Amino acid sequence: MTRYVLSRLAGLVPTLFLIGVLVFLFVHLLPGDPARLAAGPDATPETVALVRKDLGLDRTIPQQFVRFVDGVLHWNFGRSLSTKRPVAEEIAERFMPTFWLTVWSMAWSVTFGMAIGVASAVWRNRWPDRIGMTLAVSGISFPAFALGMVLMQVFAVDLGWVPAVGNDDWRGYILPSLTLGAAVAAIMARFTRSSFVDILGEDFVRTARAKGLDERHVVIKHAMRNALIPVVTMMGLQFGFLLGGSIVVEKVFNWPGLGRLLVDAVDMRDYPVIQALVLLFSLEFIAINLVVDVLYGLINPAIRFR
Amino acid sequence: MNPLPRFAATTLAAIATAIASLVIAAPAYASKDVVFAVASTFTTTDPYDANDTLSQAMAKSFYEGLFGFDKDMKLIPVLAESYTVSPDGLTYTIKLRHGVRFQDGTDFNAEAVKVNFDRVTNPDNKLKRYGLYKIIAKTEVVDEYTARVTLKEPFSAFINDLAHPSGVMISPAALKKWGSKDIAFHPVGTGPFKFVEWRQPDYLKVEKFDGYWRKGYPKVDSITWKPVVDNNSRAALMQTGEAQFTFPVPYELAQVLKAKTDLELVAAPSIVLRYLSMNTLQKPFDDVRVREAIAYAINKEALAKVAFSGYAVPADGVVPDAVEYSVKLGPWPYDVAKAKKLLAEAGYPNGFETELWSAYNYSTAQKVAQFLQQQLQQIGIRTKITMLEAGQRVQKVESWPDPKTAPVRLYYVGWSSSTGEADWALRPLLASESWPPTLFNTAYYRNDQVDTDIKGALATTDKTEKAKLYRDAQERIWKDAPWAPLVTEELLSAHNRRLTGVYVMPDASFNFTDIDLR
Repeated sequence: MTRYVLSRLAGLVPTLFLIGVLVFLFVHLLPGDPARLAAGPDATPETVALVRKDLGLDRTIPQQFVRFVDGVLHWNFGRSLSTKRPVAEEIAERFMPTFWLTVWSMAWSVTFGMAIGVASAVWRNRWPDRIGMTLAVSGISFPAFALGMVLMQVFAVDLGWVPAVGNDDWRGYILPSLTLGAAVAAIMARFTRSSFVDILGEDFVRTARAKGLDERHVVIKHAMRNALIPVVTMMGLQFGFLLGGSIVVEKVFNWPGLGRLLVDAVDMRDYPVIQALVLLFSLEFIAINLVVDVLYGLINPAIRFR
Repeated sequence: MNPLPRFAATTLAAIATAIASLVIAAPAYASKDVVFAVASTFTTTDPYDANDTLSQAMAKSFYEGLFGFDKDMKLIPVLAESYTVSPDGLTYTIKLRHGVRFQDGTDFNAEAVKVNFDRVTNPDNKLKRYGLYKIIAKTEVVDEYTARVTLKEPFSAFINDLAHPSGVMISPAALKKWGSKDIAFHPVGTGPFKFVEWRQPDYLKVEKFDGYWRKGYPKVDSITWKPVVDNNSRAALMQTGEAQFTFPVPYELAQVLKAKTDLELVAAPSIVLRYLSMNTLQKPFDDVRVREAIAYAINKEALAKVAFSGYAVPADGVVPDAVEYSVKLGPWPYDVAKAKKLLAEAGYPNGFETELWSAYNYSTAQKVAQFLQQQLQQIGIRTKITMLEAGQRVQKVESWPDPKTAPVRLYYVGWSSSTGEADWALRPLLASESWPPTLFNTAYYRNDQVDTDIKGALATTDKTEKAKLYRDAQERIWKDAPWAPLVTEELLSAHNRRLTGVYVMPDASFNFTDIDLR
């Protein structure tokens, strides 16, 4: 298995390089001149020229590309065009708030989603199923920004239990993680349910029941291991998406995370920040996929790595 | 027994505990700490390198200039006591206030003035406000409290440039210590508050500077500047008491906040003029009758009501009232019959098709664009709306290289003259030297007499002469109608009733000299 992980990690390098090249080309294709945007609405052409020089945008595209690749190889992602701080610093500062928000959202939504999903599958077409699936469909259909605003109005403005915005202490995490996790919980619930329903109809489950195992063993020991495989895949995907920073939730709760950083960077055509963020997101996805693959083996030892 | 109900019960119990533990009272604030909730993150703390009003307004916490504006945009001396101009308009001698200290304990004197002006006028420092100060040829120290600034050519709006929020005095010692770039992370000025920390994008905190030269000020212990991007969230913050002041308040939330007894909603006049510029180089807008027809066809009163929820007034000139030397010429009447007649005379009895671009894509601008489309439809002008995103705007309008092929036709945009003076309200927008990509004359308007007036007004230091020239320019522009002037916006802010002395100025900057919390 170590060999497998190592070979996957080695495969990372060409993938990331390709992504880097594509991202570089894409951001430079975006319409709009970052020097002009940074210089502001009432800047004279001389000022724009000064700003362009300051940002290193007076060089040719190939020169900028060489500089970018060289920088990345030395773990230097340049400086943000708008704040002039090192991009690595800028991202590091925003990464932890997004990461913890993701972890908390995932924690509650996976727990809940799976519990609802399993209950719905076990009591299929009976009231736990109906309630669970009603919740799940509402969770998917209710847009996050609306949910966020409703939660904020009720719990922060009307009741005053939690602060409206901010991540200073754990109370600040409650509303955003609820908002962010709602859709994930719903997706997890539906996914778990369908996966379990399939598995519970399998021959080996019937065999298990036939040999007189009690239902608890059948569901938890036999069905769970097999049903979890697609659920874990989904979990990994969702985790990856959330780590990219939710633009909507971060805006509503004023979360100092990566989603807002990306939006701001695109608005200001902040090339170095966009490039570094896209590289980071790709890296996160690849890493999560790897973890998910390893998890398969742990959940179901019948799966082997080659 | 089936294991699942027990599992569910445990989970439920856990949730119940979690919810119960949430029931904690809202945080109580120490008496004199104020939180400002503002709409976007700060780009820098260095006013010489900032192009956004907000960053410059925030920087007033720790920086002051030689001159400044009071809350009504009247020019006042701050760190300067007085000034004299040589008859040729080239040399400004500025007497400085005595006994002023920077927050690092060093003295403010003429040397500091020289250091700051030398810094911004040196192109090697690549500061974004270079353009505003490049007119300075040299700065000399006459004595400890007298500085002499010599200009490259006469520029009568110079004192206004010094009052611009970017023209601040930074401690030379701090500049030396941190360097021209890193001073942005370690600001040291003479202002009422000293810099504590800047956690981007969370907040920027400043606390009372005990050695402030204005005795008895500031009256609060700290200000926390909190950027909160979402409009609803900013409003929520005011209602929970997590912030005491917020700007801007979106029009749709005005009613909600107005209803709260502990909050006060303030609508202040602005110098933000909204207008529809028409590309005068292109048919059919090269015909003044077509341009007049468009100006007549728009009901500005209704526009203010529909798109701005009543928080705007029809524009009554090409330069807003609060700007020095503005002349009241309008508002341009709403007269559909006359518009149709003019259009017919110009040879377009059935109207024509054209493009209508908006320089912004936020919701108010969308409402404006749709309203304008509907109004122009009345006289047969069919428009295709495009809401430009910032990057597109730069590419398709502001940096278009060749005036002859510029694709802009009808263009909805706004402007505020950040120096509070007619020059910066007219020259960048209507002088022929300012055609894009140089500046923002998006109408590609050229009137030689207007050009001469604007140049002449800059060269003279005689106020009556200046007023005469600016009046002539504005009247000519009004007659030529390169724009359909639309409205002047009002600036909506809200503050807690316990908070006093914070004002939104007409240029959307803030004045908080007298800030106090009861």
